[in-house]
Amino acid sequence: MSISRRGVLALPALAVLPALSEHVMAAETVSIGYIEALTGNAGAAGQSIKQGAELAVEIINTPHPDLAPLTLAKNAGLPNLGGATVALTWADNQGSPAVAASDALRLITQDHVVAMCGAYQSSCTLTSSAVAERYGIPYVAGESVAANLTGRGYKWFFRTTPYGPDFARLYLDFLADVAKSGRATGKIAVVHENTDYGTSVADSMVSTAAARGIKIAQRIAYNANGTDVSPQVLQLKEAQPDVVIFISYTSDSILYIKTFHTLGYRPPIVIGDDSGFSDPSFIKTVGPIAQGALNRSAFVPGKPDSITYKINALFKKRTGRDLDDTTARSMQGLFVLCDAINRAGSTKPEAIREALVKTDLPPGELMIGYEGVKFNAQGQNILAYSLMIQLQGESYVPVWPANQASAKLELPFKGWT
Amino acid sequence: MIPLRRAGPVAVLVILAIAPFLTANPFYQRIAALVVLAAISASAWNVIGGYAGQISFGHSIYFGIGAYASLLLFGRFGLPPIAGAPLGIIASFVVSLIIGPPTFRLRGHYFSMGTFAIAALAEILIVNWKFAGGAIGLMGPAMPRSLADLLFRNSLPYYAIFLAVLALLLALTHLMQRSRMGFYLRAIGAGERAAESLGVPVQRYKLYALLISGAFTALAGSLYAVMIGFVDPESGFGILISVNMVVIAALGGVGTLFGPLVGAIILVPLQETTNALLGGSGTGAAYVAYGLIIMLIARFSPGGLAELWPLINRHGRRRAA
Repeated sequence: MSISRRGVLALPALAVLPALSEHVMAAETVSIGYIEALTGNAGAAGQSIKQGAELAVEIINTPHPDLAPLTLAKNAGLPNLGGATVALTWADNQGSPAVAASDALRLITQDHVVAMCGAYQSSCTLTSSAVAERYGIPYVAGESVAANLTGRGYKWFFRTTPYGPDFARLYLDFLADVAKSGRATGKIAVVHENTDYGTSVADSMVSTAAARGIKIAQRIAYNANGTDVSPQVLQLKEAQPDVVIFISYTSDSILYIKTFHTLGYRPPIVIGDDSGFSDPSFIKTVGPIAQGALNRSAFVPGKPDSITYKINALFKKRTGRDLDDTTARSMQGLFVLCDAINRAGSTKPEAIREALVKTDLPPGELMIGYEGVKFNAQGQNILAYSLMIQLQGESYVPVWPANQASAKLELPFKGWT
Repeated sequence: MIPLRRAGPVAVLVILAIAPFLTANPFYQRIAALVVLAAISASAWNVIGGYAGQISFGHSIYFGIGAYASLLLFGRFGLPPIAGAPLGIIASFVVSLIIGPPTFRLRGHYFSMGTFAIAALAEILIVNWKFAGGAIGLMGPAMPRSLADLLFRNSLPYYAIFLAVLALLLALTHLMQRSRMGFYLRAIGAGERAAESLGVPVQRYKLYALLISGAFTALAGSLYAVMIGFVDPESGFGILISVNMVVIAALGGVGTLFGPLVGAIILVPLQETTNALLGGSGTGAAYVAYGLIIMLIARFSPGGLAELWPLINRHGRRRAA
């Protein structure tokens, strides 16, 4: 029996390990916990978010007058806290809701973070923010889009990113605008992969459309790991919708475009909901036969003298990649949180929460295409929005709304020549 | 005086009962609760996988049933999640009666593959079942409405509940071990044909073992859902859930009373601390360290840590004498 007793005694011994690594925070440092999917299926996205957040911290901690009026860019650190610098403590959620909850507890009780960001997968955001709520620590979700995150009656949870209903609103506004030019947009098909991402966005699409008296003509769910999508494409071809909206991951998006090409079918309007259509490998593999495909993005580099262009350049210098939409949304969440801490002039959670509630950032102070940041009672940013971008040549260019467009919208979907 | 062999288990339970109170640190208390939770499902798996030697890779189906029963009752009828536990247990009996007889005709690896396939199928069914939240999953109460919701900021209440369930399961297993059923199961584990030729009602006793094993795994799933407050197809029915039970039991020693508990005491803190120390780097180093330690144990003690007990015990007795 004695071995099991030793096992038990080993428990506190093992538990001492993390305590050794705990470093004493200098007084002028503001510690923020960041939970992300750094490994596992979504590891690549989490790593990119980490690189983006580290860039955001550099922008905040060191003077970047060229990026003004972006929040906190001009000076070094947080001016209202005597130039205190921001430090991030990272935790890996491993794609598991239970691990994310453990992460949150550890960041709060071991690392004594004053606020948190995270956590990519909506399921992980849900469980980790529940822990933050019980401990009274502000939590800003910059990238998770599931509808059930807000509306839980939480006091400490804030979401800066647009979510399902916002995307649906974007597509419907866009299509209504296109309809003014005389093009038919009434018959909409939604094709979505069948796990949480595809299902939740498709659900929002259907309910938002219904609220406007629009019926989604066709809804096709499919398994993103499949190797053949011709049955789905044939279904579309037979129904001849005016618009096809894809809520898809990477390999399946590529497969759809290839199958369109093989079967010689060109829907008049093709919209991809970020994810797969935004993956660099999408443009590389099927770019030449997906000309005119529409997509959404909240981040567009824009003109060479703009803030967004400069941030993209900084990011590219660090990583060799362009800044993607998800990373940019996460960075924006961190900027909003740091702005609130600065306005609070304190690292007390309650003061930060009050500052977050009062957040009212104009679009000019953001690095992303939201109409601003202002939270409703549920903690959802009511000014979150995205742009429509279109694949023209080798890259996406913003085409809608008109005041942010840098190229002309080209319809119908051209595909290939 | 209590004889030494009785004193062991008593001492283990006493130490377990007071362990988390020795620290005021909420993170360690949470780890302690997770250890006991993992020990429940691994000990439950041990009844069929260890004693009867039927290596199931499909136990996630029971875990998922328990977790979903809890959060479905909450989500659809507003009942406290713990109220779903009895429902999960009843559902686990039904599932055992359906999948037990056909899979028990398979032997060895084929049984493992069969159970694996059934659990994979269950996950797909849940993904496509709208009523049960489909791919999005189900969440528990966001805020405690009453004490019955069992939502605590502190992990100690969970720890106490889990420990009571574990004690019940281990007591049952202990009784079973010494009963006719225990002998039958070990005979089946040692050689099914031989057991059958000696008159052991093999199919019937394998089914009994599965009923007990499934019921406690479902209970573990319900307790998980109560504590975590969320379940989706992957965290309820995912293959990793099954694999974890097998690895924990194998590490501690399959077919022994305390083996799974020992496995949980080592593996769960190891998972949590490697992630705490190395996870933030995002390099996957946590998995490397975790895998390395499992490899070392497999290399030097392939029968699980329980294999080392007799050696140590003999040593201890000699010293006592």
